[in-house]
Amino acid sequence: MISNILLTVALLCGINGLLALFLIIAERFFLNYGPCTITVNESKTVRVPGGSSLLSTLNNEKIFLPSACGGRGTCGTCKCRITQGAGPLLPTEMPLLTQKEIADQIRLACQVKVKRDLSIRIPEALFSIKEFKAQVTLIKDLTYDIKLIRFKILGDDEILFKPGQYVQLQSVSYDDVKESVSRAYSIASSSDEKKSIDLMIRLVPEGICTTWVHQYLSEGDEVRFTGPMGDFCLCEGTGEIIMVAGGSGMAPIVSFLRYLIQTKSKRKVTYFFGAVTKKDLFYLDEMKRFEKEMVDFTFIPALSQPEPDDQWDGETGLITVPMKKYIQQIDTETCQAYLCGSPGMIKACVQILNENGVTSDRIFYDPFA
Amino acid sequence: MKQTPGEQQLEIRFRPGQITKSGFMGDDTRHIHDIIEADGKVLERFGLKKADIADRLTLFMDEGKKELEGKVDLGEYVVQVHWARGLMPCPFGEPGLHPKVVVHVFSKASRQEIRYSQLSVHMIRKHGFWGGKGSVFRLEPIDVIRLLKMGGNGE
Repeated sequence: MISNILLTVALLCGINGLLALFLIIAERFFLNYGPCTITVNESKTVRVPGGSSLLSTLNNEKIFLPSACGGRGTCGTCKCRITQGAGPLLPTEMPLLTQKEIADQIRLACQVKVKRDLSIRIPEALFSIKEFKAQVTLIKDLTYDIKLIRFKILGDDEILFKPGQYVQLQSVSYDDVKESVSRAYSIASSSDEKKSIDLMIRLVPEGICTTWVHQYLSEGDEVRFTGPMGDFCLCEGTGEIIMVAGGSGMAPIVSFLRYLIQTKSKRKVTYFFGAVTKKDLFYLDEMKRFEKEMVDFTFIPALSQPEPDDQWDGETGLITVPMKKYIQQIDTETCQAYLCGSPGMIKACVQILNENGVTSDRIFYDPFA
Repeated sequence: MKQTPGEQQLEIRFRPGQITKSGFMGDDTRHIHDIIEADGKVLERFGLKKADIADRLTLFMDEGKKELEGKVDLGEYVVQVHWARGLMPCPFGEPGLHPKVVVHVFSKASRQEIRYSQLSVHMIRKHGFWGGKGSVFRLEPIDVIRLLKMGGNGE
């Protein structure tokens, strides 16, 4: 009886083992899709080895689609239109696609495997995104948890970006972290500087990339980043500009201000910077310099909970308090607003701006999302 | 125990460097499902459901968000929320991303503090997962229940 049971178990294990072996062999030899052709926007054609995701295959061809989750199929930012060869819609894609998107042949590039020839359509702007190799030339503490990092681009490459755009910095393996990740950071430097960029990076608890930057990255290290990306940019206009941003949200604002100096803009600009205590303030000397260099620029920092030791005699309360007080006193008909911060801050600011005559088509923002 | 490919993927996503620097398991060697089961039993003892806890944690988080990183005095508790740039997926793999929000809840009475992320709240609510022991954002159910004065006499 027992020997029969043992024999059956052994037989089943043996069959399972053989099946597993067969699957491994099949994957190795039969799932070789060979070379495939990807036609992009009916104009550019690339010949690629099949078998990988469309997202990583395009990355290898230096065509960079945005991706926030690293190809895990959870963010939906790598959506693109595949007009031929995508195969059936996958269950992993369906929760992230609307019925209209499905009807429009939109797919997730990270989930679609290149198995045959494909035709895809992507925004032309994505072709200007490049991968850069750079060297860290400066790491400077701006506050206890925000660092300014300067990257010098190596080789003959130059970065052409609009103020407000961002790059995706690639971390490297460190400590327990075995894989590289990419994270987006707004460029803080002037757009006329084409051989280097500045980023302001705040340490995020448990953040893979920010921990690497804050604790492992050193001056002289070589890194890679892709960019420029994003459409948070200064718009044409003659009216007053209101800017609201705190913490590392200052990065795109600084780039805007540098651009306005560089173009000798005569527009009136008021920048509201929100912080909790004095130790969260930074770039005060630079702001003073901007006030001197610009025709009409005012920097208004506000502390929501100043410490007694701060001896603060400036604005207090949430950043929305001085912003509201100010906006109620000005003509907002041609005014534009630029915001960078948490969705909560942006929502509060947008409400106040709307209530005071700044219509939503003149409010531009870069949420921390 | 032999794992299905789905479970292997799940286990990988909980490792250090996949979604967060240290991962979600800490030094806990138990299977994810065993951790969930053990923590679930603590809630059962107090007659609580995971949604009860998640609702309360969400309430504190929402109050904290209103102050844009400043401390919010809620009488018995002081809450502070830090909101960093970016989004993160849930290691359980369902679609969607979660803001990088960290919440500190300090009890004036007990002088104890709990710290959790917006993702922690989602994982407690949807999966009953409180983190592996020793992980950075692990919440001990018993500590949370005591600090938030929830449940009946389950001690």
